[in-house]
Amino acid sequence: MPKESQQQREWRKIDGKPVGFLAYCRELIEYREVAYVLIGRDLIIRFRHTYFGLAWLLFKPLMLMATMTFAFGHLAGFAKEGAVPYPLIIFCGVIPWYFFSNAVPDGMGTLSWHMHIIQKTYFPRALFPLTAITSDAVEFLVAWLLFAATCVWFRFVPDWRAIFFPLFCIQLYLLCVGIGLGLSVVNVRFRDISNLVPFLLSIGFLLSPVGYTLDRVPEDWQLLYVFNPMVGIIEGLRWSLLSHDLHAFPRDAVLASAGVTAIIGWGGTQTFLKHELDLVDLA
Amino acid sequence: MVAPCIRIAGLGKRYRLSHQHRVDSLKGWLTSLAFRRLDSFGPDSDYEEFWALRNVSIEVEPGQFLALIGRNGSGKSTLLKILSRIIPPSEGSIQIQGRTASLLEVGTGFHPELTGRENIFLNGTMLGCPIAVVRSRFDSIVEFSGIERFIDTPVKHYSSGMYVRLAYAIAAHVDAEILVIDEVLAVGDAEFQEKCLKHVEALVSNGRTCILVSHALEQIRRMATHVAWMEQGKLREFSQSVSGVLDRYSESCRLT
Repeated sequence: MPKESQQQREWRKIDGKPVGFLAYCRELIEYREVAYVLIGRDLIIRFRHTYFGLAWLLFKPLMLMATMTFAFGHLAGFAKEGAVPYPLIIFCGVIPWYFFSNAVPDGMGTLSWHMHIIQKTYFPRALFPLTAITSDAVEFLVAWLLFAATCVWFRFVPDWRAIFFPLFCIQLYLLCVGIGLGLSVVNVRFRDISNLVPFLLSIGFLLSPVGYTLDRVPEDWQLLYVFNPMVGIIEGLRWSLLSHDLHAFPRDAVLASAGVTAIIGWGGTQTFLKHELDLVDLA
Repeated sequence: MVAPCIRIAGLGKRYRLSHQHRVDSLKGWLTSLAFRRLDSFGPDSDYEEFWALRNVSIEVEPGQFLALIGRNGSGKSTLLKILSRIIPPSEGSIQIQGRTASLLEVGTGFHPELTGRENIFLNGTMLGCPIAVVRSRFDSIVEFSGIERFIDTPVKHYSSGMYVRLAYAIAAHVDAEILVIDEVLAVGDAEFQEKCLKHVEALVSNGRTCILVSHALEQIRRMATHVAWMEQGKLREFSQSVSGVLDRYSESCRLT
């Protein structure tokens, strides 16, 4: 057995005081291998017992896109002649929304679902919401293959603005992390929030430009509407990938969304750090 | 005289015993917000304080095998939980040097849906062991646990004995400097218990530290280097003369 000298090892102090953001991040990095195992496990569990396995990854966003193109593009008549193909517009809304609507409940529920592990072993508890959201993010990134395939089908090529695509993806990820971290703590204490969130998400779906575009919203309402952080993200993605004369850079939406994301991200993280230590006592 | 690797100083854990129905729903919380006080996110306002642990100070050096004894509810498990960072202390502090592996109650951090094999990796990394090391010791972990046949079965189908065997086998192989064991070993059969205790003895003589909660006084007498007697959340005796403390403890158990 290896015998290191006692002096080299660090002292760890346990005194019940919450650690700061940076110290916590350092600890997360120390435990990163747990994250690899958890994410790998998440993805395995999701597809192990399913007949179609990985095909589900692509099937669900594809069906959502087809349904919404039919409902919004044709029934509601939002599809415009000559502009960007409507399925592409929908994809830019459906793919991020599908990620958001999975990541929020997944991140929120993880601490309660894994309470039996949390009560027995210590490791930074943020790993649970973070890995759940990251597993969803992997699905999210894979789903863009559908978008690429559809671009080929319609012979559509995004222009230089596509370099901004990753920025909006990162913002979306941070938004999910902020909400997921904050709600995961609340969910440990108040279980009935898990009834409320799916309901809010189904309202949020209609209040986000998933099946339609921002310019469909009356201008008087836009000022209020853009404070939904998903508006700036979805419209930003459309601007970066579909750009072609669809509309100008959605400045207000992107700015408002960045601001709201920053507030939610900070608030969620602080809530989590404040209660991370006494999670077991809260439950 | 070796420098201590665990310093427990004035440790206390307070709980609030609520005498009202606990607020568990958002609705209840909102009502209590409206009618009572604003910070009822925590426990209720109508409560009684209860110290599960108070004023406990112990120093443990590397190479010591500390046994915690005491009746049910004397604070032994609470102390181990704070030591393992499962719950925070309400006052005082613990300073630890070195990696800690804990075995608290049965089922130590296993994911029921995952197989034994997958849980070895999950649990091993949670105990701070790099994946590569877990992989290289995998066979030896499985051999120690003696459950080769069931290693690809989801652990939800395991018996509690199998749970403990696997959990102990993992904890034994992660090279933690400090091993914290709650009564779990009692679940394993006599042969496995003996195997574990032998293993702990070897670790301790190699300069590792072990803290064990047990009611098996004869085993403690044989192996522990130090013993701490807990009573009603307080440290009643802490001594190197294991036999003396054990005699007085069994005497007090007989009296009441």
